[in-house]
Amino acid sequence: MIRLRSETAKGVALSAPATLYVGFLVAAPLVILVTYSMWTQSYVTIDKTLTLANYREALTDPLVRLLMLRSILIAAAVTVATVALAYPIAYFIAMKAQRKTLWLLLITIPFWSSYLLRVFAWKLILGFNGVMNSALLAVGVIQEPLTFLLYNEFAVVLTLAHAWAPFAILPIYVSLQKIDPQLLEAATDLGNGGLERFLRVTLPLTVPGIVAACLIIFIPTVGDYVTPSLVGGSDGKMIANLIQVQFGAANNWPLGATLSLLAMLAVGFAAIVFVLSATGLGRRIR
Amino acid sequence: MKRYKLGAATLAATLAAGAALAGGADLQVFDWSGYEDQGFFADYMSKYSEAPSYTFFGSQEEAYTKLQSGFTADLAHPCSDAVRKWVAADLLVPLDPAKLTNWDAMLPEIKEVDGIQIDGQLWMMPFEWGNTGLIYRTDKIGDDEITLQLLADPRFEGKVAIPDAASSAYALASLATGNAADYTHLSDEQFQAASDYLRQVHPNVRFYWSDAGQLDQAMASGELEMGWAWNQSELNLIWNDTPAKMMRDIDKGIATWVCGYVRLKSSTASDEQVYDLLNALSQPDSGKYIIESWGYPHANAEAFKIADQDLIKQYGFDDPKSFFEGSLFFDAVDPPLEAKMLKEFERIKAGF
Repeated sequence: MIRLRSETAKGVALSAPATLYVGFLVAAPLVILVTYSMWTQSYVTIDKTLTLANYREALTDPLVRLLMLRSILIAAAVTVATVALAYPIAYFIAMKAQRKTLWLLLITIPFWSSYLLRVFAWKLILGFNGVMNSALLAVGVIQEPLTFLLYNEFAVVLTLAHAWAPFAILPIYVSLQKIDPQLLEAATDLGNGGLERFLRVTLPLTVPGIVAACLIIFIPTVGDYVTPSLVGGSDGKMIANLIQVQFGAANNWPLGATLSLLAMLAVGFAAIVFVLSATGLGRRIR
Repeated sequence: MKRYKLGAATLAATLAAGAALAGGADLQVFDWSGYEDQGFFADYMSKYSEAPSYTFFGSQEEAYTKLQSGFTADLAHPCSDAVRKWVAADLLVPLDPAKLTNWDAMLPEIKEVDGIQIDGQLWMMPFEWGNTGLIYRTDKIGDDEITLQLLADPRFEGKVAIPDAASSAYALASLATGNAADYTHLSDEQFQAASDYLRQVHPNVRFYWSDAGQLDQAMASGELEMGWAWNQSELNLIWNDTPAKMMRDIDKGIATWVCGYVRLKSSTASDEQVYDLLNALSQPDSGKYIIESWGYPHANAEAFKIADQDLIKQYGFDDPKSFFEGSLFFDAVDPPLEAKMLKEFERIKAGF
């Protein structure tokens, strides 16, 4: 055994595994990404002179702006839809359901199959001769298959909202679970009706859960690649698809690295703005 | 589907044959999935009783990236348009035509394709070739009516698909704008004309296809009426009894691709084993097999003589010479032009 002399040495030794882990898996890749973004690609070789040319190119390109904005808007729509649909479910499980464990288990069932399969399932449902169109045709509501169901932003939002639902339900459930029932009783004693009690006690107390759910959904969906490429068509393409092109067909890793970094910055900025405004709002309604 | 049945049969036969000689699997091949079909290299199987080891890629770009990052194998199977880039990246070693026993029997035109030989060096042994062309539903569009310009016709809004690949899209656009001969080195005006054409097609595009199965299904269901696609899609539709065919009129525009095997610089297998596989792949019998059960034309001219003539006619390659003379070839595009195409194509797809 190594004998540790001081508190400092003990502290360093204790935090070393975590530091190494973060260093190798987070810091080092980030350094590589930043370095790559300052190099330039020329046909099959990489020019290693440091330059900001890629940033200039990316920031002046209206296509990058469009895709970045669209990615953030799609992710925001997914977040709003998912959280709005998840809240009543979480509320039901936390407040009303008898067999909470069974309900929680049922919610995770979609996760027993691969994410890719769930995306394909939506393709089958929304497709030209898919479940939805066949059903509507059979009932006689429509004469021709609807084509606006698939290959657009709507399909991307729908697919992502379904795929991420449990991630929203669980944090909200936890925050609802923590509410002391005596607070609700007190609100009733003080003359609050059902709706008022929800708005003045339950909702403010679950703001941390809602914020967590929003971040858990918003951050990964901005960079989603497979959903837009399968159900997005050309109107539903997102920034990750452009990044993939740079690392694949275009064989321009430096530009791909630049776009990745810019996407990270944009997501980080949007997330910080959201957290600050959400917590501010939470305090206000309390 | 036919080819899977035959594949399964050969696999079963091999398994039954049992105990394999050591060595066959030491040869590493980096290939498109499906080409591990043992009908393609019967001679290799009879010598080594064991198939080579296969690793698969889904696209040439993926293969290139993987090789650049240090993946090693003996042989790889790109198409002729990739060879110049792979040579420039110093990934390949040239082949020796003297060791290719079927070299003399190869279609003479195929040996002239850019990328097979560069500056007198042989870099790729051509294996299979085929067409990329306009496939259309014959029950919706007449044979007299069909042209490449029809893709841009507003009547077909949401009824067409083109590949999510800049080079293929610009090949189509070069043909449609009458600049097929200059496809690899379009001038600025020609490039502009091609881009304008693709912009006109864009509102009609239901999706830019990246996997052929997606296109086949959409053609079969009637979601699409036209698609710029590989001859494999045409065959899938024929086998599926969908009334569809490829526009094979050279004057109206069709493209041809050639793929084959290259030897990688990282190769560690012996010359003998590498050339045993190459020679097995280029045998007329292998050619007959790929023609009849896959519907792909082979590089060996002898294969066409021994294969089922009715199938050759039905699949549309009874006159290979005319294709080699009259169609656009997927040659390597000038690197700066290629970069321009990729960039512009992303814009067009996004509606700019």
